[in-house]
Amino acid sequence: MVSQSELIREARENGMDLLPLDKDTYELFFGPQHMATENYSIILKMDGNRVVKAIANPGFLHRGFEKLAEYRPWHTNIALLLRVCVPEPDVPEVIYSMAVEEILGWEVPERAQWIRTTVLEMARVSAYLFWTMGMAFKLGVYTAGQWAAAYRERFMALFEQLTGARVYHIYTIPGGVRRDIPSDAWLRRLRDTVEYIKSKLPDFDEILFENYITHRRLEGIGVMDRKFALDEGVTGPNLRATGVPYDVRRVDPYLLYPELDFEVPVLKDGDALARVMVRRFEIEQDLYILEQLLDMGPPSGPYKVEDPRLKNLPRFKVPAGDAFAHVESTKGDFGAYVVSDGKNKPYRLQLRGPSISHGIRVIEQLLVGARIADVPVILVSLDNCPPDIDR
Amino acid sequence: MTDYEALVAKILEKAPYAEGEVRRERRIEFRISPDRIRDFLKLLKDNGFELLLQITAVDWPDRGEIELIYQVFSITHRTHTFVRTAIPRDNSVVPTVMDIYPVAETYERDAHEFFQVVFEGNPKLEMPWILEEEDKEAGLSYRKDFDMLGYVKRKYKILDRFDEDKGTYVI
Repeated sequence: MVSQSELIREARENGMDLLPLDKDTYELFFGPQHMATENYSIILKMDGNRVVKAIANPGFLHRGFEKLAEYRPWHTNIALLLRVCVPEPDVPEVIYSMAVEEILGWEVPERAQWIRTTVLEMARVSAYLFWTMGMAFKLGVYTAGQWAAAYRERFMALFEQLTGARVYHIYTIPGGVRRDIPSDAWLRRLRDTVEYIKSKLPDFDEILFENYITHRRLEGIGVMDRKFALDEGVTGPNLRATGVPYDVRRVDPYLLYPELDFEVPVLKDGDALARVMVRRFEIEQDLYILEQLLDMGPPSGPYKVEDPRLKNLPRFKVPAGDAFAHVESTKGDFGAYVVSDGKNKPYRLQLRGPSISHGIRVIEQLLVGARIADVPVILVSLDNCPPDIDR
Repeated sequence: MTDYEALVAKILEKAPYAEGEVRRERRIEFRISPDRIRDFLKLLKDNGFELLLQITAVDWPDRGEIELIYQVFSITHRTHTFVRTAIPRDNSVVPTVMDIYPVAETYERDAHEFFQVVFEGNPKLEMPWILEEEDKEAGLSYRKDFDMLGYVKRKYKILDRFDEDKGTYVI
């Protein structure tokens, strides 16, 4: 067996530069295969245990969604865009549909709005559970991670009944939703799931969110202040953890949110712990919203607009114009800007992924000075979704 | 409740070089020339338009210009703002705004890589963003005149299966 020092000697003889960059620092390639980075790569310059410099290196998931969308008819883009963010695939469907509807001047029926709001909130809870799983695994609280994965499974099953697919739903279309709620039994099952997960939140608190080790690991790490966060365009829970009550559902209301009662959790510290706790409080609020929606019940009526143009989808045309629509996703402000020139395909489409603002420059600045063991924790506390950045 | 007409009028009063209008509730729009973009965004930033959400580039070959849309969200006024400017296609140079909104650096890198818009003063434009070097050599760009078919033909060497008469691939 060849020893490591022999391998290094051989590599040096072949001209590979394995030496430290200068006397005390060395380079560490973090990702894209590392579990904590989630298909994202960071080049770290290390001095012993500390990060001296970080360079974000995106692009490993780039599929050219925006360019591809210019070659596909309006409706088929739904099946493409939802692949942008895997934990929460309903958000790109909804924003794209909302932008297209704004250009068309369509009012979506009330039933479709109710279904969309419900689907978005279900997606939020399941995305937060997915994130809880990641956070728990990085902190070593594997039990909580496995619980979160198992509870998310219940939402996957509900989505399967509703849309026919577990992860990629292709459910929201311009004009409404693709099909109606399967039955009243589905609504009862959703209520049971919401109550069940609500009853399990104290267990998560005990084992993860109020855990002494969690607090010691997260406190005072990766601190952002309010001005820095606003300058860097950070949105969502990461911004709310710095004390700014910015929630798209409140500042630019859409769907049924103006009628719903919920709080926007805001914390002031701006460190990893505050970001984690904001998300913890968000889960509670989302479950509360789902309860209200279920109490309200789906309004009767059609679940999509009745328009003769929808009969022939490949030739379906959208008049010239442009529109921007955005919603609050678990990662932040997720927007779509759509330009139409009157043909049956988008002229230009740009997705505004929330992670593009906190996934490049913010990470590069927050990681400086952190210990190597804290790098995964900071990354997961920011909750960036690399496909958002690459698109 | 924000009065959007009054808000636009207030901005236009301070920036007489711009044109502006209310598109609908919570959406306003301004059009300015590219040399005043920095002044205008500085003005917006000072007047409670905190978040730069994105910079979109749209290519219009028939008009011979690339349109840049700076999308700014104001938490104070609860308003989404489109700031539109158009630059010539063959000389697409515009000053950077990363000292006003630091996050613009990321969006400018994005627009530079896909549209070859040059943002003067942005030090990170030449850093690789998403595309590989070989993709850049192939001329991959989000501009409308990009020869997608030719690119596919070259990249995957399927020239022989391309029927020139029909203009499609024979599979």
